[in-house]
Amino acid sequence: MRKNIHSVTTQIRAIETLSNNIKIFTLTDPDDWPLPQFNPGSHIDVFLSDGKVRQYSLCGNPENNGKYLIAVQKEEYGRGGSGEMHQLEVGMILPVSLPRNHFPLADAKKHIFVAGGIGITPFLSMIPWLIKRKITWELHICANSEDKLVCEQLLDSNQSKDSVHKHITQNGTRLLMNDLLSEVGSEEHLYVCGPESMISEAIRSGAFLENRLHFEKFGVDHDLKKTAYKVVLKKSGNVVKVPKGQTMLGALRLANVEISASCEGGICLECKTQYLEGAPIHRDLVMRPVDREKFVTPCVSGCASDKLILDL
Amino acid sequence: MVNENLSAIMEENTINWSGLVKDLHLTPRSFLPMKSFKALTLIPGVGVEGDRHTTGEAFHSDRPEEGRQITLFEEETIEALLRDHKIVLKPNDHRRNVTTKGVPLNHLVGKKFRVGDVLLEGMRLSTPCRHIEQITGLELFNQLMNRSGLNAKILNGGKIFIGDSIVPV
Repeated sequence: MRKNIHSVTTQIRAIETLSNNIKIFTLTDPDDWPLPQFNPGSHIDVFLSDGKVRQYSLCGNPENNGKYLIAVQKEEYGRGGSGEMHQLEVGMILPVSLPRNHFPLADAKKHIFVAGGIGITPFLSMIPWLIKRKITWELHICANSEDKLVCEQLLDSNQSKDSVHKHITQNGTRLLMNDLLSEVGSEEHLYVCGPESMISEAIRSGAFLENRLHFEKFGVDHDLKKTAYKVVLKKSGNVVKVPKGQTMLGALRLANVEISASCEGGICLECKTQYLEGAPIHRDLVMRPVDREKFVTPCVSGCASDKLILDL
Repeated sequence: MVNENLSAIMEENTINWSGLVKDLHLTPRSFLPMKSFKALTLIPGVGVEGDRHTTGEAFHSDRPEEGRQITLFEEETIEALLRDHKIVLKPNDHRRNVTTKGVPLNHLVGKKFRVGDVLLEGMRLSTPCRHIEQITGLELFNQLMNRSGLNAKILNGGKIFIGDSIVPV
């Protein structure tokens, strides 16, 4: 059980219910002490009472360190964290991590944001920061229909009306990624946050942007569970089968192999484990290439070879 | 003979000093930013009033320690980090309660010294910890080796103020 002294103690000060099963939580210190600062694009881990850990982008102004704002969309068929979040009430204590940033703003003349659904949230902390510094930006919000647009209320409409572009599939204005990519200038950066299909398309078509393409996704990759392989534990000599439909972490747990894990989405590296042989398919979002030559994240990663030998 | 002379010089140097309080900080809970105060109230045998080490809400409070009632840090270390490593560490970043000037903290383990009207006893050297790196986002661990401050016990209490003198007893 995580002790509160090992996390940032916040109290839920307000909960605002928006359309599309979204709740905005305002978190503060219980005694209104300033909270640790964060940079545009940061997220926090939220430690739920049953041990689940979930990541949410901070969607308030980074220069207001008195409070954190997070938007949580309830997913009917998710991993269970959002349902638990939606049952929380004002006044409750909610332990969270220090803010972390795997999706920072680059040093650029112009920033182009593409948001799908709840993927708008990291941009909500970037936009006020850019507006204050008079740095050019534009936001493309994508949704299947008008009623699926989310969190627009959190944008300052006066300051952002000329920079926000809505792309509604049902209205025939679906975002054409290739068209957008062709307009990205040589000193401009593109940021994509949204469903897996949107990010995959951006990565596939926007590879030429190299380090000017940034993306962030949370949750488990749906390609994760498509193959079966064996995990050999070097120290104990045990062999654990990872069948189709199961994660490496899940299979190891079933075999009573204890591995500390936190986000279970490939961004915290809590479960990072050394491997000795085999061809892992790395699906974490944050490990450095040099580390991937030695380590694998069993929560999300797979294996291209028949077996993977772990230093366990 | 040489060693005896060296010991005598070192002893002389650790006795003949006087410094002062440059900054005072506390925070009520782990991870939260430290806030600056003009004065702190020290409770003998307990700690700094309102600070997380006193209320049991510090990151290390699951490992309680009598000698960590108040913590001190040298301003000279802040200057050295900037001079030698181009690291900007502000007085509210090092997470100790008292920032000192002109005080050889590393020599004060097992020694008593006075801060204003309050009497402290150095208990052990503070050690750098990754916790500070997490909070500040600065790579500091190696640079703070052997100069991460002093943990002390409060022998008699009272208020201490910025500008108070710090002298050996």
